[in-house]
Amino acid sequence: MLPKIVIAALLILAILDMLVGVLLRYVVVAITEALDLPTVNFFWVEEVGEFALAWLTALGAAVAIIERTHFALGFLLYLLPARAARALDRLNHLIIAGFGALAAAYGWKLCGLNAGLASPGLQINLAWLYASSVAAGGLMVIYGLGVAAGLIERREAATLGGP
Amino acid sequence: MLLVVTALAFVVLLALSMPIVFALGIAGIIGLVLGGYPLQMLPSSMVGGSQNWVLLAIPSFVFAGTLMERCGMSHALVNLARALVGWLRGGLGMSVVVVSYFFSDICGSKMAEVSALGSTLMLPLVRAGYKPEDGASLIASGTAMGMLVPPAIFMIVIGEVTNTSVVALFLAGFIPAAAIGACLCALVFIQARILGWPKDTRPSWRFLLSAAREASVPMVVPVVILGGFYLGVFTATEAGAVVAFYAFLVARFYYRNVSFKEMGWIAYESALLTAAVVFLLAVATIFQYLMGVTGVPAMLGRLLAPLGSAHWLFLAGVALMTMLFGMVLEGLPAAVVLIPVVFPIAIKLGINPIHFDIVQTAAVGIGLFLPPMGVGLLMALRFANVSVGRHARSYWPYLLALLVGLALIIAIPELSLFLPRSAGMVR
Repeated sequence: MLPKIVIAALLILAILDMLVGVLLRYVVVAITEALDLPTVNFFWVEEVGEFALAWLTALGAAVAIIERTHFALGFLLYLLPARAARALDRLNHLIIAGFGALAAAYGWKLCGLNAGLASPGLQINLAWLYASSVAAGGLMVIYGLGVAAGLIERREAATLGGP
Repeated sequence: MLLVVTALAFVVLLALSMPIVFALGIAGIIGLVLGGYPLQMLPSSMVGGSQNWVLLAIPSFVFAGTLMERCGMSHALVNLARALVGWLRGGLGMSVVVVSYFFSDICGSKMAEVSALGSTLMLPLVRAGYKPEDGASLIASGTAMGMLVPPAIFMIVIGEVTNTSVVALFLAGFIPAAAIGACLCALVFIQARILGWPKDTRPSWRFLLSAAREASVPMVVPVVILGGFYLGVFTATEAGAVVAFYAFLVARFYYRNVSFKEMGWIAYESALLTAAVVFLLAVATIFQYLMGVTGVPAMLGRLLAPLGSAHWLFLAGVALMTMLFGMVLEGLPAAVVLIPVVFPIAIKLGINPIHFDIVQTAAVGIGLFLPPMGVGLLMALRFANVSVGRHARSYWPYLLALLVGLALIIAIPELSLFLPRSAGMVR
């Protein structure tokens, strides 16, 4: 449940951040210019929005495995007998777990490589940004193995999808 | 060799029902290992591809569209469209085309749009004497046309992939969509005479005004998008935030039929769809990198060089491929796999990037509703409860009208370029 709450919160954060950006750019700047007040910096808006989207994408991509939101060409699963289809589905999720493990392992290395760097605006350690790939990979391993082992139930059909 | 093995791995995984993004990712990993490239490209692409200001427009437009659809705005648009054209012969059919145009303006997801229009319009169409397969054809072809009406997610993605201004693409889509809409309305007019479709009674001025007043709430969105972009006030990302805020205000204080808890769920579903789209875009950069280093664009460039003298032939050829991709793989994978390969060739041939992107957007829209397996079409048929085979017999004229519209967009670049040019975005 926690990843679901976090990705919904990240989406709201991203939208609020963009709204604040619009407000600062079109309203606050006009007021400060008209009243000859010191300018308000809003370079952080872009950074917060991009960080939120990166984390939202990473966690959401993992949760999307159990929510069946990822686009797939699933005709073979419908053509095969139920047992064979289940076996194929489990194999696919084992492979997804492997993908997640690689993403997490190499993401961890990338965190180490970027730990000495900071974002230009808010001076946030960039390891926090690359940690999103570690979190995504870790969740993909959990969800992939969970579905393969039959421990995690997936949603029947996605409510949204497609471009 | 590297490319053959990578492509083969992708196709095999795809056929084995692996989600497209993981098929791309795993094939990409195989390619990186075979080519001796560092595997750190995997997390690096995942993060780098999603840390993107332009793509932030996606969550806000998806959230706004879903929220507005949940409020029931489609009903207000249907009433206005019926009041405007419903009293003509075949007017109800034409109103489906008109409402698809308006509704695409507030809803970024085609699947959500088919679902909203199918549930709102199928019953009135059948009650008015239209066959279910005709109803499904109208909804499918109308929504296919709506692909060109901003704020389509596909336009944001193709703009990002081809490094073209999303604002210019949004502006460029309005007229081509209207051109395809005109082709569809002409078809409905002819069909109505042949099949004897009914017409609504002519509405009173009072009803028309009341329908216009109700529809003015959702119609603020296209005004913000068209006006804001034309005057150069907003970026696409900012417009998304403003539209999302407007949707929130309207849902809370005007319609008052969506609770905070439901909004939380809408935020969650919008976040999931956003993640699926952006993750696909991010992972595909590995595949694009491999195609680049193995010289695929250069090879295709040589192969397609003879088409340089006939832009329309090149555009039609690529549009056909995009359409088939759109039918089999849905639209976005087409954008991330096919478009990056052919786009540099289009530029080399002297085709305007906005024109190219608009043609491919229209082609993807048609592909999504192409029988026998376009996902949009299958969804529309679910509401009509008819089989693909039975539907195909009555769908072909609509498909033909869509293709005529596409041919017009290919043959007349100015349909796509007029608005961006007059807004100073194209020289």
